[in-house]
Amino acid sequence: MVKLEFHDPSGALEVTHPHAPRLASLEGKRIGFISNEQWQAYRMLPLLKEMLEQDFPGITVLPIDAYPQGNALIGTEETAGLVKKSGVDAVIVGNAA
Amino acid sequence: MKNAVSGIGLAPDAAMVTFPIRMFLPGSDLTALAERKREFYDGLTSWRSSLVPAVNASPMLAVEGESYEEALVKANNLLLTNLWGDGLPLWPATKSRVDWILRGSALPREHVLGKFPPRGGITTIETCAIALAMAGGRPEYLPVLVAAVEACFDPANGFDQLQATSGAPFPAVIVNGPIGKQIRLNSGFGLLGPDPQRPAGASIGRALRLLQQNVGGALPGVGTMAIFGAMRYTNAVFAEDEEGLPPGWQPHATQRHGYAPGTNSVSVVFASGVTNVRRRGAKKESPEEDALNGMWRMADFMRAPNLAALAGWEKGTPGMMMLAPIVARRMAELGWTQKSIREFLWENSKIPMEQMRRAGAPAWIEIDANPVTRDSIKLDPWPICLKPDNIVLVVAGGGHPTHSYWLQAHSPSVQGRVIRVPETFERLLADADRDLGCGEDVCRV
Repeated sequence: MVKLEFHDPSGALEVTHPHAPRLASLEGKRIGFISNEQWQAYRMLPLLKEMLEQDFPGITVLPIDAYPQGNALIGTEETAGLVKKSGVDAVIVGNAA
Repeated sequence: MKNAVSGIGLAPDAAMVTFPIRMFLPGSDLTALAERKREFYDGLTSWRSSLVPAVNASPMLAVEGESYEEALVKANNLLLTNLWGDGLPLWPATKSRVDWILRGSALPREHVLGKFPPRGGITTIETCAIALAMAGGRPEYLPVLVAAVEACFDPANGFDQLQATSGAPFPAVIVNGPIGKQIRLNSGFGLLGPDPQRPAGASIGRALRLLQQNVGGALPGVGTMAIFGAMRYTNAVFAEDEEGLPPGWQPHATQRHGYAPGTNSVSVVFASGVTNVRRRGAKKESPEEDALNGMWRMADFMRAPNLAALAGWEKGTPGMMMLAPIVARRMAELGWTQKSIREFLWENSKIPMEQMRRAGAPAWIEIDANPVTRDSIKLDPWPICLKPDNIVLVVAGGGHPTHSYWLQAHSPSVQGRVIRVPETFERLLADADRDLGCGEDVCRV
């Protein structure tokens, strides 16, 4: 038998921090949207806002334009700072295609 | 999305709700959103990553066969089934082969170049050597590959987005300096395609693509949404024909990056298309008419609303125009300079705003992140880039006057890097002469 050994070419990954813990419930929570304004986000995210508000008593869902929108802006430190400052418990990010 | 979260240091997993592409089109039916709203709620509450948090090893793989050929087939099958191949035969990156490739490095094998975006695979010199080994490369190619990776990683490129976008940009690596000839990069006939006498570009470009896919996560339809993906087997890696430059003309790397002539360097443009321009006249044009007609035809090809090039409108490039050396020399004899050629192409590739409006192009300008680019909407006719110097002009191609080549760009910047070679580089070149035959021009067909 001939044995051929070779390197895995995919490169090592470094996991530096865990995913954020999930919420126990959405009731009474404060939710935001981070939108790239692409792929019908302007239609989908307001629908999601409506559904969340209907289904969870006491929930506060921020408007979809509460933070800067667009692919070039949603990943910036400035936007991250605004998200933290707004005191949300969680955000929904959309849309990718 | 999994690449994106992995790239910022999370386990490569995310709470996602996915729908067929039709739902993301204008006027789409959004009924499914309500039907599956529970998945959004679960993503915020009960979702847990199914992955173990640490994925740190880069292990050796092994296959066995009755013969070397059978083992080779199994190795290739394994690489494909693990989504690490490109459909063409690969050299398995055995320890001995990788060690051989690493003779071409001026840096230690464990030296970290960065995290390959968007997936974030840690990219070392050894990672590059593994890819180059798989791509059929040689040690003397490694310095060019390493410099190209470094240039791609420059933050000004937004390389994570270039990797993932549907527009299919590919790195076009221009090499300047004596290393081009030394390692058998092509600068002449067929320089963007295969050439058995000048095989370096294919291997280096293929290795770069393998890194983009395997380490960076740009897997078609998953990690890269490139709809068509042309030029992505080998990207484009070539040398400028510096010997073909007319007297007084500077190498590209000197013009764009300020490197002294003779410096070994790479310059990376992200191109998204390749177009042949029939430049030469067909009848009894005078030399002046032939040159001017050709210039107009090049400008006509450039005068297109390539909205992907908005990313580089201010600081990048709208594209790369390749002039064959015989064309460059004839034009220089007629008084054209690199500066005057760029100015002509810039001035005459402007697009009337009326044509921009009918194509819906202003909307893309309005949403651009760069205020300088957004302000350009006031210009009529609209220039395809801020200034003539943004246009990349290189002298390369076969010794024939009929065509020019226009590579339209999606290139937020054009980054250069000096190539570092090991002290033993001359030895590696001698080995190449031994293995591949004499590399001098006099020895070639």
